[in-house]
Formats: sequence, structure tokens, C-alpha cells
Amino acid sequence: MTSQPQRLHVILMLAASLALGFALLIYILYSINLIQFPFDYDQGEGFEVHDSVLFSRGELPYRNIESYPFYSSNYPPLFHLMAAPFVWFFGPGYWYGRLLGFLGSLLTAGAIAWTVHHEGRHRWIALLAGLAFLSSNMVYHIGPLFRQHMTMVMFETLAVVVLARAWPRRQTQGIALGLLLLICAGYTKQLAAITALAAVGWMFLRRPRRAIGWAAGFMAAGAAIFLALNIASDGQWWLQVVVANINEFQPRQAFGLFDLWFKLHGFLLLPAGLLLVYETYFARLSIYSVWFVLTALLGGIAAGTWGAGDSYFTTSIAAMCILSGICLSRILSHRGDFRPKFMARALPGRRIVSLGLVIVPILYLGYARATLKMPTAGAFAALAQALNIEANVTNGFFDSATFNVGGYARIGYFLTPQDTQAGHQIADLIRQSDRPVLSEEAGFSMVAGREVIANPTQLRNLYLAGLYEGRQLIEMIEEQQFGLVILRAQFYPLPVLVAIGQFYRTEAVIRMNGFDYSILYPKEPAP
Amino acid sequence: MPQTEHPITKRQLGIGLAVFGGVGTAAALAIDLLEVGREGGIGPAQALALGIAVAILLVGLSLIPLGDAPA
Repeated sequence: MTSQPQRLHVILMLAASLALGFALLIYILYSINLIQFPFDYDQGEGFEVHDSVLFSRGELPYRNIESYPFYSSNYPPLFHLMAAPFVWFFGPGYWYGRLLGFLGSLLTAGAIAWTVHHEGRHRWIALLAGLAFLSSNMVYHIGPLFRQHMTMVMFETLAVVVLARAWPRRQTQGIALGLLLLICAGYTKQLAAITALAAVGWMFLRRPRRAIGWAAGFMAAGAAIFLALNIASDGQWWLQVVVANINEFQPRQAFGLFDLWFKLHGFLLLPAGLLLVYETYFARLSIYSVWFVLTALLGGIAAGTWGAGDSYFTTSIAAMCILSGICLSRILSHRGDFRPKFMARALPGRRIVSLGLVIVPILYLGYARATLKMPTAGAFAALAQALNIEANVTNGFFDSATFNVGGYARIGYFLTPQDTQAGHQIADLIRQSDRPVLSEEAGFSMVAGREVIANPTQLRNLYLAGLYEGRQLIEMIEEQQFGLVILRAQFYPLPVLVAIGQFYRTEAVIRMNGFDYSILYPKEPAP
Repeated sequence: MPQTEHPITKRQLGIGLAVFGGVGTAAALAIDLLEVGREGGIGPAQALALGIAVAILLVGLSLIPLGDAPA
């Protein structure tokens, strides 16, 4: 016969599953909507498409930006290499990179669920832990974009999961695989260096001498790839991928994002923190705890740099989902090793389990509410009304995080046919020009079949570092060699923007995807 | 025959963290004491660094009494 707490537990667990399942539904619908959109949704996506195009031709995207076409990438190559075969078959496009990101997020969620089940032996909590990762606003944003970030998180998570098993068992092949996955993560995006530090640090805690040996091999392999890329790009790899990514730190952005991270994920940060404290003082530190602390701390600080943002917390959210899942599984499974001895008498196991039956699903329910995001119109209007929520961001969308924190990506809403029409309208303007076009986003040029010219944030970053003069680009602007200039965020270096302002005038503003695109033409007819 | 390798203990980890946190705290404060390009007063980035360094120092100190238990 089922007891009353058990019945309540099942009802609450079903409610939590339903709430997080709904978050998954919204995520899938958002991804399907986004994958069909042929232009930039998040600023800079098009340049990543272009990187894949260059790799598909066997060319490196790490180039001297002083000379035409003033283009260089500032990201490592692996994600773009993964997308390159799609370019061979389908040409330049956004959908396959967005699909790769989306699939990467699902694989990460799967790895989280598998780990929680393996460590905690509670299938339902394992499922909720995986769903919790996909429900996070910060994961939702970045998942289905043509961006390397989610693929990096996937490699990091797989690496940690593999090392967690292989290192204590001294499985040479497993350790090598885990470190290889870390190298993959690092050559997908530089931020994975934090996870590498955490993993090697944890290995050192367990077996210091062996860890030093493995770390030396790991660093040698990573450095060899680094040197090869630097030599192949004639030194541009170092300049474009390392130097150009050192941006100014904005404390307010970091504080704001830390605050938001806690508000959105507090329900699961609590049990994750509980397990962390328990491991620190009463047991042994797991790789998940070390990973969680370092990625939350260093990833959070890195989120405060210019050009970074909430996505820098994504890895710590994966770690949080694993840690909280293990903690809550152990509470429900009544694992004797979870309580410190001094607490055993004061808090008998039965009492913990009884409380856990109610508290655990409530934590996941609270988390689902804290991370709620959904359209409020169309098929979702009735539900939005029932939940008493109203659109609070662009395109009739509710986001529990709002768009009020600096560095929080102002995306996540669904795109409309009008957005696609607006994009094609801009691409048509490019086609009408018989001269090169300077566009702040690459998508319009690619759809119009034109050359991608300049990567504005790259020019800006190197200009601020005193490593970009921009004479040739400014001369081309002054000579009005560009038939059209398209601006959105005005990320170009100041002298370039000044030249544009002097020699071009705004003739139209086209709204797409919630942003205004200024269309500028030469002030005087070019000779 | 496989060699036994001793793991890092909580005391060793604690000492390491305490030293790291102590040096970090001193460095964060030294920016003001040495007046390295500052008008004076603790700025937000410095406060963040100081807070983290002090937290690491305290965690490190609290681990030292736990002795030879493996970290």
C-alpha cells in the first residue's frame, strides 16, 4: 500500500516532470523556428558561418585584418571544421551549425542524466537533472545558435564524465579519451581552459605524481596544435585568437550576471552547494565539485568581459545539474554515506527521506518556474493567461530573466515571417549594388552571394589593443568604394565609424529580429 | 607490483588554498597601498578580487584541522 507522503511525492514529481518537459517543448520549438531562419539571430553568427566556408575551402580564417577583405576569425577551429562538410553539400547556411549546437545540448543533457543515474541510482531524478540543464535560460539562448559554445560545453561535460570514471580506476584508455575530449573542447572555444584546469587539478588531488605526468602529455599535445596553427597562419593565430580576445573587464556586468545566475538557478544551486560542502569537509572532493567551483567562479568573472555574457555560465550550469542531481538522488535513495556522522542522530535517515520526498520535487518545480520562458501569443495565449504572465521582451515573449541585465543575451524569442522578409529586403539591397558592401553582419552578404568583408568586433578589439590601424579600410570608405554600408550595433573601431559618418548617409532603417539595421549609401555619387 | 601513491590531504589542500588566498588578499590590498595607477579607494573589480581571495583563505584555513583525510 502506498503511503500518503509517497503519493504526494509522485504527484509532485509528475508536476516537476511536466514543468521541465514543457521547458523542453519550448526549447525544441525555439530551435525549429531558429534553424529555419537564414540570417543572423545572434550578432556574429554569420562570421562563424563564414569561418566554416573558409575551412571548407581548405583556408585558415586567421588573417591579417589590415588588408582587404579585413576579415579574421577570433575562435579556434574545431566547431567550424565540424560544420565544413555541410558547406560542401549545402553551401553557406545557418541551419546545420544551429542543428549541431542543438544536438550538442541534447547530448550534454543526456550525459548529465547518465552521470546522475550512475552516481545516485535514481532514474527519475536523473531525468529531471538532464531536463533542468535544457531549461536554464542561459542554455536555452545559446543552444541552437551557429556558435561553438554549446559544442564546447558538450566536449567539456563528456570529458569530465569520462575522467570521473577512468582516473580512479587507472584506465589508461579512458584517461587518454577524457584528455582528448578536453583538447577538443579547448580547440572549440578557449573558455574550456577552465574545465581543463579543474580536471587536471582534481586528478592531482587524487594521484599527484601520475597527474603531473598526464598533464605534461596533455599540455604537449595542446601546445603542438597551437604551434602548428600559429606557423600555418604566419603568426595570425596568436594575434587573432589570443590577443584579440583580451577585452576590458566590466565589473557591473559580472555582478549583474552573477546575481541573475543565482536568481535563475538558486533552487538547484542550493543542493549543489550542499554536496560541495559535504565533500569538502566530510568526504572526498569529486571532479564535479571542483569543476563546479572553478567554472562558476572563473567562468562568471570571464562573463564580465566585453563581448562575453551569460553563456559563460553554461558549463557551471551543467556541473550544477550533475551535483544537485547526485545530492537529491542520494537524499531520496537514503544512502548512508551522505550524512556526516555527527548529524546521524539528530537527523535520522528516515526523516531525511520523508522530508526529501516533498522537498526534492518542489526544488525542481521551483527551478522550472524560475527559468520559465515562453511565447505569450498564438497557441500559448491561453496558457500564458492561466499562468498570469505577459510578454516582457521582444516578439510577444516572456523571459523570467527579462532583458534588464547587461551581458544577458537579448534573444530567445521566436522569429516571425516578417523578420525573414526584412532580412531578404536587406539582401536585395545588396544585390542591387554593383560595388562591394560593408555589412556588420555576414548573413546578408552570404544570402546575396557577395563577399564577406570585415569582422567588426575583431577590428574593434585589435584597434583598442593598439594593433589595428585600418588605413586601407578607411581609404576605401573615404573613396566610397562600398556601394552600401549596413550597421546594427556599430562595433567598428571609432575611426572607421567616423569615416562612415563623413562619407555615407542613412537612407533607410529596416527592423529585423527586434533590431534596427541602418542602410547607408554614399553621400555623393562615386566617381 | 603497482606503487601506492598518496593523495593530497585536506591539510595540504588547506595550506595550499590558504597561501593562495593570502597572497591574493595581499595583492588585492597592495594595489591601493602602492597606489598603482589608482585615485584611491577600493574599486568594484578590486572588491571582487579581494572577496574571492579572502573566501579562499578562509576555506583553506578551515581545512587545515582536518588533517590527513584525503582531499
